[in-house]
Amino acid sequence: MKRLQTLVLALLATLGLVLSACGAQNTTPANNNAAAPGGGGTKTAIIGYTASLTGKLNVESTRQSNGLKLWMDQVNEKGGVKLADGTTVTFEAKFYDDESNKDRVQELYTRLATDDKADFLISPYSSGLSDAAAVIAEQYGRIMITTGAAADDTYKKGYTLVYQAYTPASRYLTGSIDMLAQLDPAAKKVAIVNENEKFSKGVADAVKAYAESKGLQVVLFEGYDAGTTDFAPIINKIQQAAPDVILGGGHFQDGSTLAKQIREKNLNVKMVGLLVAPPEPKFAELGDAALGVIGPSQWEPQVNFTAEAAQQKGMEWFGPTGSEFVSAYQAKFNEEPSYHAAGGYVAGLLLQKAIEKAGSLETTAVKSALDYTNMLTFFGALKFEVDPQAHGLQVGHDMVFVQWQQGSDGKLVKQVVWPTEGATAKALYPVR
Amino acid sequence: MSTTSDVLGRLHARPAAARWRNPGLWLGMLALLLVGLWPVVSGQAATREVIFTMLLAIALASSLNILMGYTGYVSFGHVVFFGLGGYVSMFLLSLGQPLWVAVPAGGVASGVLAFLLGKAILRLRGTYFALATIGINEAMRTFINNFGPFGGSTGISLNFSVYGNYGGAANALWLAYYAVLALALLAILVSYIVKTSKFGLGLMAIREDEDAAEVMGVFTPNAKTWAYVISAIIPGMVGALFFFKNGNIEPADAFRLQFSIETLVMIMLGGQGTVLGPILGALGYQQLRSFLLTNAFFKDYQLVIAGVLLLLIVLFIPAGAVGWLRKRFPRLRNVLP
Repeated sequence: MKRLQTLVLALLATLGLVLSACGAQNTTPANNNAAAPGGGGTKTAIIGYTASLTGKLNVESTRQSNGLKLWMDQVNEKGGVKLADGTTVTFEAKFYDDESNKDRVQELYTRLATDDKADFLISPYSSGLSDAAAVIAEQYGRIMITTGAAADDTYKKGYTLVYQAYTPASRYLTGSIDMLAQLDPAAKKVAIVNENEKFSKGVADAVKAYAESKGLQVVLFEGYDAGTTDFAPIINKIQQAAPDVILGGGHFQDGSTLAKQIREKNLNVKMVGLLVAPPEPKFAELGDAALGVIGPSQWEPQVNFTAEAAQQKGMEWFGPTGSEFVSAYQAKFNEEPSYHAAGGYVAGLLLQKAIEKAGSLETTAVKSALDYTNMLTFFGALKFEVDPQAHGLQVGHDMVFVQWQQGSDGKLVKQVVWPTEGATAKALYPVR
Repeated sequence: MSTTSDVLGRLHARPAAARWRNPGLWLGMLALLLVGLWPVVSGQAATREVIFTMLLAIALASSLNILMGYTGYVSFGHVVFFGLGGYVSMFLLSLGQPLWVAVPAGGVASGVLAFLLGKAILRLRGTYFALATIGINEAMRTFINNFGPFGGSTGISLNFSVYGNYGGAANALWLAYYAVLALALLAILVSYIVKTSKFGLGLMAIREDEDAAEVMGVFTPNAKTWAYVISAIIPGMVGALFFFKNGNIEPADAFRLQFSIETLVMIMLGGQGTVLGPILGALGYQQLRSFLLTNAFFKDYQLVIAGVLLLLIVLFIPAGAVGWLRKRFPRLRNVLP
């Protein structure tokens, strides 16, 4: 037993030595091949980010970084981006696991910005983690494209180098109010029930204000704890308030349970709109309970933005079409891309476009190119707020709304029902 | 873990002046100071961030050790003080109060909470106490989640311009770093003072046998409460600095139970009930995690490897590194506090 202990201790001591030796080695600078002056040289631009390889955000975050990787592979295969001085830039990813929590996000991003010499940063998945990373990006003067981070307040803190690819939380559900106004101007009573957590609360607050500004009456405004499985008390309150429309939800688990229990109690409402859960293909497993439920999505595979549409709107078209992206993603990862994957891809596209326009990798040049971004991509329109009050907030992109409808074969299919110009089917209204 | 004769031996062998001549304490603190000043000299921000995380862990582990190592009460939910301190100071910072008001306020709030709680839950012993601390952390999270002035579930965010008051974000991060270094050193000093005081002896007597301690004249409810308060103040201030540096705070980050458990692991690695143990444990644990996370080869398996290593250590060296040294080489007991 004693000998074993000594052995373990000796092993640990050796490990300690190895660790400290490795710690020292990390100070060697990352390779940034110097470009030959006068052009014709090559350069590698490093894109740094953390992904949640472990922990609760694993699924969404993995899709997001898959999307980014696809973009990077495609650009590099095409030979990279040409700068004004003739240098060709290819891209290389540097990333670490953030374990879905905030403890080490700042440590890892500092490392990316200094030791790894990342030229550009992409945010982690989720608003909370991105918020912590943004401080570091700003402090070290690196541009950071945030994707998978919808909360508004990150952009109201005076940052100048952080740019949002997603539609912010404040406009997540507002489309459903516009849709309702078109479908049924007589419907006036809205119940809002949401998961009590940063993102969902932000969405709920914003949609409440928007609904009231449009003359609707919010008859119930109530939060429920994350992880709620029994919605009976909430549903009783909804029943008493007798709304025309239920809006809210939070994430996949609670959203689908809520939809199921609304169906079981046979609530007599004309429209149900929930966050996050409805766009997920798994939502169809609810069967009847999924029928007619609408949900906002950052992007859907069947949404068809085209170069012609861009021309009509007087915007520039950039990047692949939706179907090109879907088939390339399917070929590489063998699954249908979700909006998280599209978000990762579009973060890369934004950088690529800005670098091409700036003809340089310099932060200031790329920043001013990003400030003037106004383009249409397969993901939708992209444009940033440049007012210092909310610099970098996404103002071009809009949510699309999906609805689960009965297909011709009797199975449930997901249709895009809003905005009408991108719709694949008419909205089913009233639901019951 | 020290035996009763060890405790009794120390009663005789510690004249007041000798208390300050312990080479282990000063060497330990000097070593930590050198590690802490390393990024200042080298100017490397990435190293600073790594060491920031380590100093944070040292301050937390040393503080918790007062309760867990000396008194024998395992607090699973100690992160509640870290989170509360963070919340109180972020609230004050968002109202425009300066950092040197907000950080001590965080510490005071945590201390007050510990005092109030201690009166109630320290009457529980063993597992019951440990379970109660988990409950308190969960209750606090739910409360803050619904508490409007602290932002409810959205939490509190600082405007980037706040850092301008401290000479810009770069300076603010250095300031937070120096402050955490100071707190880590303070935590060690407090831990040593408690351990070598009569109060500390009382705590260790409680750990060995609470009823016997009471018979021998230790007024246990008070002693335990004060140990709890002392172990809560520094985590409150450290939480304030951590969230100041992060720029935002949310209930799920502030009251993360796993963080508490990691602190317990650090203490067990280094050796509970010793002054140097938590330092060593925190350094070792954090170095291991940050190495595995950023190493190209290990980063996909980092949790597996960390788990296996921890299991081996807990199985074969349950007294922790410093505890094992003290047991193996009794002479070291005088120099390794």
